[in-house]
Order: sequence, then C-alpha cells, then structure tokens
Amino acid sequence: MSDLAVSPNKIPAAPSAFAKALRNPLWLRVALLAGVAALLEIYGRLYADPAFMSPPSLIVNAFFTKIAPQPQILLALWYCVAQIAAAYALSVMFGVVIGLAIGASGFSRSAFFPIILLLYAIPQVSLLPLVVLMFGLGPVAKIAFGFSHGVFPIIMNVVAGMRDVKELHLRAARSMGASRMETIRHVILPHAVPSLFTGLRLGMTLTLLGVILAELYVSTGGIGYFTRVFAESYDPAPLFALTGCLAIIAVLFNELVRLAQNKLTPGKRRPPTLKNSVKE
Amino acid sequence: MERPSLATRSVQIAFLAVVAGAWFFATETASVSALFLPKPASVYAALQRLVQTASFWSAVLVTLTTILKAFAIAIVAGVLVGYAVTRSKLATQVIEPVISGLFTVPITLFFPMFILFFGIGTGSKVAYGATYAFFPIALNTIAAFATMEERYLRAARSMGASQLETFRHVLLPGALPVLITGMRIGFFICFASVLGGETISSVAGIGRNIAHAAELMESARMYAWIVFVIATSVTLNLLVYAFENHIRSR
Amino acid sequence: MSDTVISIRNITQRYGAADQTDAVLALDDVSLDIRQGEFVCLLGPSGCGKSTLLNIVGGLFKPTSGTCTVNGRLVDGEPHPDKVAFVFQESTLFPWYTVIENFRIALKFQGIAQAEWDDRAMRALKAVGMASFARHYPEQLSVGMRQRVNMARGICVETDILLMDEPFAALDEQTRMVLGEDLSQLLAATGKTIVFVTHSLAEAVFLSDRIVVMTARPGRIKTIINVNEPHPRSPDFMLEPRFSEWRNECYALLRDEIRATMAAQRDPQPQSAGA
Repeated sequence: MSDLAVSPNKIPAAPSAFAKALRNPLWLRVALLAGVAALLEIYGRLYADPAFMSPPSLIVNAFFTKIAPQPQILLALWYCVAQIAAAYALSVMFGVVIGLAIGASGFSRSAFFPIILLLYAIPQVSLLPLVVLMFGLGPVAKIAFGFSHGVFPIIMNVVAGMRDVKELHLRAARSMGASRMETIRHVILPHAVPSLFTGLRLGMTLTLLGVILAELYVSTGGIGYFTRVFAESYDPAPLFALTGCLAIIAVLFNELVRLAQNKLTPGKRRPPTLKNSVKE
Repeated sequence: MERPSLATRSVQIAFLAVVAGAWFFATETASVSALFLPKPASVYAALQRLVQTASFWSAVLVTLTTILKAFAIAIVAGVLVGYAVTRSKLATQVIEPVISGLFTVPITLFFPMFILFFGIGTGSKVAYGATYAFFPIALNTIAAFATMEERYLRAARSMGASQLETFRHVLLPGALPVLITGMRIGFFICFASVLGGETISSVAGIGRNIAHAAELMESARMYAWIVFVIATSVTLNLLVYAFENHIRSR
Repeated sequence: MSDTVISIRNITQRYGAADQTDAVLALDDVSLDIRQGEFVCLLGPSGCGKSTLLNIVGGLFKPTSGTCTVNGRLVDGEPHPDKVAFVFQESTLFPWYTVIENFRIALKFQGIAQAEWDDRAMRALKAVGMASFARHYPEQLSVGMRQRVNMARGICVETDILLMDEPFAALDEQTRMVLGEDLSQLLAATGKTIVFVTHSLAEAVFLSDRIVVMTARPGRIKTIINVNEPHPRSPDFMLEPRFSEWRNECYALLRDEIRATMAAQRDPQPQSAGA
C-alpha cells in the first residue's frame, strides 16, 4: 500500500490475469534461464567448435552415456559428496563452539576476534599444495581444506550475532531477574540465530569451494582426474556433464541449509530481501 | 569493534608468540618432519634467495597483471550490469536472485572449462578471476542502487534536480559505500581465485611456483612463497581498510 | 490578501484501476482555494489522502482527474521548484552531505547562482538557530535538530509556497512546540503561503489560519474551520479558552472519521488499509 502511495502513476490500468502471471518474477526467472539454455543450444549446434563447446542436449546425453555408466566417476562423485558433508559437519561443530566461546564475553571477543579476522584474511588457496603435501592425495586433505574454508564465516557470524544483541533486551531480561546463564540461553542465543544461519550458509558456500579446489588440484584421482582427462581429450560434453553434476550437488547442499534456516529460525525473522550485498 | 585494551592486546601477542614458539620448538626437536614444517631459519634463507632471482619477480609480475586485468574487467562488467538491472524494479526482482544464487555455487567448478576455452596460459586465469569477482561487484551494485530510499529521490525531484544531478548528487553518493565494499570484496576474491587458478593448472605465476615447489618437495621454498603471499595479502588488507576508513570519515 | 495562489479543482485520485477489487479511491472530488500568505492545515484520519493532496499540489503525483494550478500555472505531475518548496515527514537531508552541503545542493538543484548559496543557507540556518552546525553531518545531530535543519532547507530556496508533509511527526511534544513557534514567526516575517499536513489537533489550531478537516477514505473536505488569530502566535495562545474551543471543534468533527477508519481496519474491507 505504501508502495502504491509512492508511485501511483506507475500502476498499470486493469492488468489481466495472464498479464499478472507474466510479470511474476519466478516465471520470468525460469524463462530467462530457459532462454539462455536455448541460445546455448542454438549456438552450440550451429556455430561452436565441437572441441570446445557442447549444446545442452548433448551434455544431457553425455551424462547418460559417459558419466552414469562409469562406476569410477560415480564413486568419485560420491566421495565428493561425503567429503563436503564431513567438512561441513566439522565446520559447523567447531565454528559454533569456537564462536560461542569467543562471543561469550566482551573480553574474549575483543581479544580473539581480531585473530580470527587475521586468519580469515589469509588467502587459504596459497596453502593448498601444503595441505595436500601434509594430508596426502586422499579424502583427508579435501576434508581438511573444506573445513578450513567453512569454519571461519561460521565463527565470525556467531560472534557478530551475539555481539549485536539489543541493549534493551538485555536490560529487560535483567529487570526480570535473569541470571547470566539465563540471559545467554534465552536472549543472546535466540538473538544470534539469524546471524548464525547467515554464517552457516556462507560456511556451506566456502566448504564447497574448499573441497572443489582440492579436488581439482589433485589431478591424479577423484573428480580432478576426470576433468583433466575430459579437458585434455577435447571432449567437452562429458566435462560439462560432470561439472553440471557437481553444480547440482552444490545447489542441493545450499538448498538444504536454506531449508534448515527457514524451518529453524524462531520468530520468522528473515534477513531483509535484496540485502544480498556481500559484506565480509 | 571495541577499543583494544592492554589485556586484550597481550592475549593477541601471546597467541602469536605461542604460534611462533610452537614452530621453533617443533622444528628444533624435529617432532614434525622438515618436509611438512621446515625450520624458520631455512624458510627465511629460502625467502632471501628467492627475492634475488629474476624468476621470482617475473612470477609476481605475471600474477599481478593477471589480477589487475581480471579486476578491471569485473568492475566494468559488474557495475554496468548491476546498474542496468536496477533501472527496472522487475528486472531487479528477476535477475538479482539468479546472480546471488549462482554466487553460492563455487565458480571453481567451472575452472576446467576456463582452461578448455582460454588455454592453460594467463588468459584462463583472467577470465576465471574476472568471473568470480563479477558476482560480489554486481550484487553490491544492485544492492547499492536498488535500496536507495525513495524519500531522497522524491526530495531531489521536489527541488527540481535534473536526471544527471540526481545521479551525481543523490544516487551515486548514496550508493558509494556499498559499491566500494563490493569492489574490495571483489578484489580479494579476484586475488584468491587467480592464485587458485595458477595453483590448480597453469604455466606461470605465484600459484604455479607454490605448486611446483610442493611437487619437488622443496618445503622451505614453498613456505617462503606462502609467507610472501600472506604478507602481501595482509598488507593489502590493511591498506584497503585504511583507504575505506579514509573515504568514510571524509 | 485575498488573491488565490493555489487553486485545487475537483481532484480525484485513484490507486489501481476502477474495476479492480484492490482499487482505492484516495481523494474524491476535492476543491480548495488557498490565498497568498495563508497557513492552511490539512487535518484528517490516517489514509484520508491528505499527503496525496499535498504531493499533487507539489507536482510529485499526477491526479487521476481534476486540476491544480499554482500562480495560475497548471501543475500536472511536474514539480515546480522555483515556486514551491517541500519539507517532508522523515528527514530527507542527504546523509552523505554536511548541513551546509545539503543547502548548497538544494540551491544548485533549483538553479540559484553559486555566489548566493552560502548567504542564503546561513540566513535560513540562522532563522532556525542552527547556524553553528553548518559543518556537521546530519547523523551527528539529534532528530529535533535534523528536522529543524530540514525545515530550514525548505526555507532557504525562498519560494513563496512551502508544502510541509507532517514535518514534526517524528518529534517529541516539546520540540514540536518550539518548531511550531519558529514556523509561526517565519510566516509573520516572510508572508509565505504554507500548506501543512498533520495528525495533531493542537498543532493544527496553533499554526493555521484555516483548518481543512477531511473525511475518512475516500478523502473529501468535511469542513473548513477558520482560526482568526494573528501571526506570530505565542505559546500563551494555547492557554486561551478559544484555543480549546477550536481544538474541541476539530476533535468533534474528526472523531467519527477516525472511528470509520478504525472500523475499516478491524474488519478489513476488500480495499486494504494503510498509506
């Protein structure tokens, strides 16, 4: 309503139901993506060099002919999923515990938070060869690298969420006779939940990044081996299909965290829409 | 951030001291293999040798130009696309979730395709770094312009501001802090992704040198490179932080 | 004294199309003449369209039908900053500019020569007693100070007509009183024509020459009350029995309209409440 009051002149006269559906962002988004796929199909079929580019239909076909029947590739994908899950579980566990410990008091926060910020500022990718050297070519290095990426945003957002609790709420709790522990349990932690989920989502994105980086770096086995083989044989369709599988895995992991966020945030507090500006 | 007290500073210094002490202790007593953790002295010696070689500086130069090229492309593309999208409310609603959704998928997944399209040289790293940095810049540009409060625009209109004046004096200064944040994040993402690209698959640059030292198991040289990268990154962070503060408190 | 500067003729404002269930008739056939040097308050329940009317006069909205002329010139959804200045409800000072820069930019937008900017800005700031805060950023000021500066920014462009959209709504009662006095003095000193939107009965009576009482949605003019009291008015005016009489008269007129609005909110009609 206030929207209407602001710009009454932009409201179109009597849009039909069809026109309304046409303006629904969701459909338009699907249409946009479908349009891009169609353009890729046309470009891939008519103009592109088949050594570099495949139309989407051939990519789907390649999935069924060159990816799905190969147990080794499926196993590598399965390993990848397990590594992401393991790295993320570790990130959440350590991230929440360390975050709570640092955020619990003003002193620990001002003492340890700068250290976390410093560690977070290190370009971890420069440590990738070292991590692989230390933990070997197997899953351990990939889990370790995913964990080291995922844990920091979770710590930082837990601490930030506990820090930003409203003074008025704290005072209200004190006036009702809440103890320090009760205040943490009933005021500070619930307040930190939306921020925690922000951290969990960012942590998932970065865990995925860490695991994938390590997978691609280790080119003697796992996903990295197959991407290298496909890329070097100038056979783009299975490479695209494999990448597509990984992308779908990444999207599913992200959606899982988003669903948890929607289900578990008390009081239905949501980060405001269109606040996707990236902060840290 | 709270003002650091003496006590909190001493905790931080103690932390660094413990890390440094543990490094010395572990290497002196040889409780960790020198392959994984060489002595600080040998890393220092390796770093000294390294900076005297011509190949060190050529590697730094390759990485630096790659980062700058990628960042420039990302800024131009990100700001243009972001601003164009916010010119229509509908376009913002349709496109913004697509961009933010894509950004939660690691672009690294597509790195093999960049190699396929642009070869193993610096071209693929420029494209990869630019693509990665495009997202935070575009998203922050959209957020900066789309969340501009209507009341400021209405006030400007009531005062008779022209379109250009509104952009110059209302839209742009209002958007600037978020824009600059986007560019800072874009820069460091660019930095990390170029380095990552070089590490995974390349023929030159800092990342390639780290990976090469690791392949040859020359830990001291690898650590020297890592120390160099971390020192550069921390310095850049501090510089950018100071620059941003300077702009804010102007 | 009696020459009309703002002439509102049969203004109707509709949001959404007429045949739609969510269409809202905000203003219904409103006509009003405002004379040079007059202080006119638009008083009415929430959502009665008083802000909409003000925005139409200012040229920020285009009316669905009807006309509005200012100094004989037709206003049709185009602002005319040379004649009309706006002071909005929320502080619309740009947070990225200092107080003085905010004035300069307003004068620049209006096309005033640069040589005059600082003179005019300081004159307006002095009028509200804020000259010493010229180099502060808005965020460094209290809400009351900010709104005072905001008001001064509307004054500094030195237009004949000032449109004020609930400028004091976010302020506390005491600050409101002081700013009201400032405004009354300004009116007496400059002879500006001011149209003022408010919820507050006391504010309306204290400031106005005429109070336009509006009905609940759709907004129509219910009555016009004349407040025959010369400007500048002192706070003592509020202690006079005639002040209370005017205030009570307004309240009696408004009560039914407020009830109607509240009833609509409790038991929602197809048209949504708000605005």
